[in-house]
Amino acid sequence: MFLPNEYEFSCFVKINSGTRALEHLPHELDALNARKPLIVAGKDVSKEGHVRKLMSAFRDSGMTIGVCDDISGPFDAPLIEAITNLYRNKDHDSIVAVGSGSIVDVAKVLNVSVSYGGRTLRELAGKNGIPNPLDPFIFVPTAGGDGYETSRYAEIEDMKFSSDFLMPDLVVIDPRMVTSRDTRIIVATAMTALAHAVEAYTSPAKNHITDIYAHAAIKYVAEYLIPVVRHPADRDGSCALANAACMAGCVVSDMTMGMAHILGETIGAMFGITPGICMGIVLPYTVAHRALHFGARTADLILPLAGFDDCAKISPSLSDAVAVTMMIDLQHELNGQTHGGIPRTLEEADVPPYMLQDIAERCITDDLPGYTYSDYLTVVKQAWEGSPAMNG
Amino acid sequence: MHLPGYYEFSARVKVVSGHRVLEKIPAELRKLGASKPFIVTDNGVSSAGLLEIVTDSIRSGVTIGAVADDIPQDSDVCIINDLAGIFRERGCDSLIALGGGSVIDTAKGINIVISENTYDLMKFSGAGRLKRALKPLIAVPTTAGTGSETTMVAVIADHERQRKMLFVSYFLVPDVAVLDSRMTLSLPPAMTAATAMDALCHAVEAYTCLAKNPMSDICALEAIELISRNLLHVVNNPGDKDGRLALANAATLAGMAFSNSMVGMVHALGHSVGSVCGVPHGMAMSVLLPYGLEYNMHKVSHFIAELLFPLAGSEIFARTPKHLRAERVVTIIRKLNQDLHDATGGRHARFFGEVLDRHGAHMVEKEKIPDIARTALGDGALFYNPEDLDYDDMLMVMEGAWEGVPLKRNLIKSG
Amino acid sequence: MVSYREVKPGGKPFKRAYVAVMLWFVGRAVQAAARVDRAVAREFDDLPDSFTFCLGVEPRGPFMVVGKSKKGRVKYLGWNPAGKEIDLAMRIQNMEAAILLFTFQENNALSACRNRITVDGDIPAACAMMRVIDIVEVYLLPKMIARLAIKRYPSWSFRRKYLGRIRIYFRSVLGY
Ligand SMILES: [Fe+2]
Repeated sequence: MFLPNEYEFSCFVKINSGTRALEHLPHELDALNARKPLIVAGKDVSKEGHVRKLMSAFRDSGMTIGVCDDISGPFDAPLIEAITNLYRNKDHDSIVAVGSGSIVDVAKVLNVSVSYGGRTLRELAGKNGIPNPLDPFIFVPTAGGDGYETSRYAEIEDMKFSSDFLMPDLVVIDPRMVTSRDTRIIVATAMTALAHAVEAYTSPAKNHITDIYAHAAIKYVAEYLIPVVRHPADRDGSCALANAACMAGCVVSDMTMGMAHILGETIGAMFGITPGICMGIVLPYTVAHRALHFGARTADLILPLAGFDDCAKISPSLSDAVAVTMMIDLQHELNGQTHGGIPRTLEEADVPPYMLQDIAERCITDDLPGYTYSDYLTVVKQAWEGSPAMNG
Repeated sequence: MHLPGYYEFSARVKVVSGHRVLEKIPAELRKLGASKPFIVTDNGVSSAGLLEIVTDSIRSGVTIGAVADDIPQDSDVCIINDLAGIFRERGCDSLIALGGGSVIDTAKGINIVISENTYDLMKFSGAGRLKRALKPLIAVPTTAGTGSETTMVAVIADHERQRKMLFVSYFLVPDVAVLDSRMTLSLPPAMTAATAMDALCHAVEAYTCLAKNPMSDICALEAIELISRNLLHVVNNPGDKDGRLALANAATLAGMAFSNSMVGMVHALGHSVGSVCGVPHGMAMSVLLPYGLEYNMHKVSHFIAELLFPLAGSEIFARTPKHLRAERVVTIIRKLNQDLHDATGGRHARFFGEVLDRHGAHMVEKEKIPDIARTALGDGALFYNPEDLDYDDMLMVMEGAWEGVPLKRNLIKSG
Repeated sequence: MVSYREVKPGGKPFKRAYVAVMLWFVGRAVQAAARVDRAVAREFDDLPDSFTFCLGVEPRGPFMVVGKSKKGRVKYLGWNPAGKEIDLAMRIQNMEAAILLFTFQENNALSACRNRITVDGDIPAACAMMRVIDIVEVYLLPKMIARLAIKRYPSWSFRRKYLGRIRIYFRSVLGY
């Protein structure tokens, strides 16, 4: 079994997940010593009635809450400044972000801005630029997301923030908020989580605690993605997938971000495909490649992917290959369930074959050490054809 | 995966683990804005030379404000107030708790008194009374068992008014848990066995009791695997540094599991055996664990069966037919107790009848069993046990655990 | 450029009324059970005299208070804990949690597991009160529902269960 020699890790995130989770909010805010939260939500989310559901959770609580629920782009510094002024003038002491993706970046950077009066955002950006805890920050996810919501990162304009204190204190996953009818969004979010978790779980920088979060995320996706794609109204399953996104976000870091992430982002940006979908396509091939050439701990994936019974049946010498096959099977199953809506290969995703070299080149500019042009090219070729590299 | 309709999980403590990580404490303190720690520990720890290792490792990085190395096992409000006085006098700004559960709880108590600037600690007892972040607290566990470095609770006694008060708050979670193999390297084999069995109980009960959730389940599984793969080897080879570190990690993971999912009847009875007869916690846990599993078997055999995987490995799991797995788990735990008994020259007890004090007398006298059963009826861990226990049930379990005979399954009531 | 409004969310009057009625009934039933059932009487005997127990919904009620008089007689003391010295408080964290509890979708133990009930006070007393409430539930509810509400359905004599049930219902409604 895996014994890391020396490590340090922390994750401040608490999660409340399941039936009536929203109604725990007033009590949780109180425990964090917050009296007057500011709710931050995007226009799209409030149109769907999510903000209304959140507000009704505060009934009978006696709390007064502030609401900014029609935030729309551009998500830039002036926007942050405007909300900061509101936050200060109205004496708020905590932030509740509803939604996913960039609205969470807004909330995180808002939290930096309200806590550091004298300094500009630009001074605070950069690696570990935020030395002290911020105000209580609660995140209520809705369907979708970029996988960074619960991470230690935030981005506004060209400023990148990175600090453990940016992570939400609490994530409230309520079935009323996280169900979605759009299978493409469901798959993209879940596959982003799976890719991040698999890379963390097989990374040499892993440790016992990151394993917990990564293991959970993989297990949630392996067990619940297909059922939810089949029945998008499945409340338990939708919560499980939201948990996966949350847990994977907790272990996203520079150390664990791997090939699937880079390839997914790059291909997504080049061809206008949702990055999560691309990550799903390339993930099995990157895993196979890394098992073969980088000694990644692919065999470890069997337990979270397959559960006790199947894991116990698989001979250790085959577990690398089985893990890869299981992930390819998942992709095929998704393709079948959506009647071809989710592509299995880069070819099916309409990536032209003559662009594969280009993709590999662009991946290199993202400075992830260790992987060369030929590594990326091999993997994209395999992902285009749908045939992984296997031992023997 | 068992997905409950609702659950909560948090593991807020920062874990720093390794063979030479005490040296990181000054940097961690600096990150927390502190530079003058107050070190609290107990006699046993300082006489084992651990305090010296810690002070030597951090001296070059921080000014040690003060050291209190005589926290008693049953520390209480008075002691906490005295220590808080020293903290203020010396102008300390943070705490390092070096030791087991009672030292860490005492440090948490001092922290409340200091940070809330009060003399009446008891005003803050209960859930959620603390309303602000406390001073930085770094926990350095020396037993690899209790897992209290991960919890958001503190239990503090008030001897004058004869009560124990519970403090619950996010702010009570230590900021950092430093797991350094040097801190447990000199732990004697019998203590190693007992404390590791305590951790095993935390993991097993968290996995099988009512408040289980997918996250705590994974923590528990990992803890169980680490313990079952390393415990016997470490007891036989006390100098095994990697094994020691693995056990320390297991205790912390088990702490994360039970601080979210709580414990059940094994702890309810174990606490009473401790308070009525003074049996060390870990020893009571080793004895009671198989009985707790037997008692709850008809309710949660499917969860117990899954534990065979981390306990025995995938091969034995695959070879054991499904309906026999849960029973096999009980057998393996009994066998582990037997092996530890042999490896420690009989010091690790298999049943209460062989728990002896320093003078060779029974620690648990048979006549005390009714007392133990009655006390256990008032233990909060019962809320989380899958099956109900009344007075007669407690008696039955205790009598089995005293004699060392498995429970008669037909006598376990189900309704 | 950013719209802002301040909201003071209202209440949930219907749920509140339902929970208030249930609490009122539970309070009176505990009082009745203490006089009818030996096991309940024994639990109360072990508690100190003038012990007061409060069960209710945070933060604004409704509540119910049951207490022992100085002579050891168990009495329902009404819906208002204000001004009373409470030894043991079980607080249901919010109205929805109370609804889940009083519509038997979640039992006491599960509710505690899910951090929807918190206990403030002496733990042994809390264990005793949990047992009392379990017994009262067996009396008040049909077996099918009571089985959901407690961990282990007891095997009582016909006399204890049915006669006791009639007496407790009768006393709860009339309040003596
Ligand atoms: Fe324990």
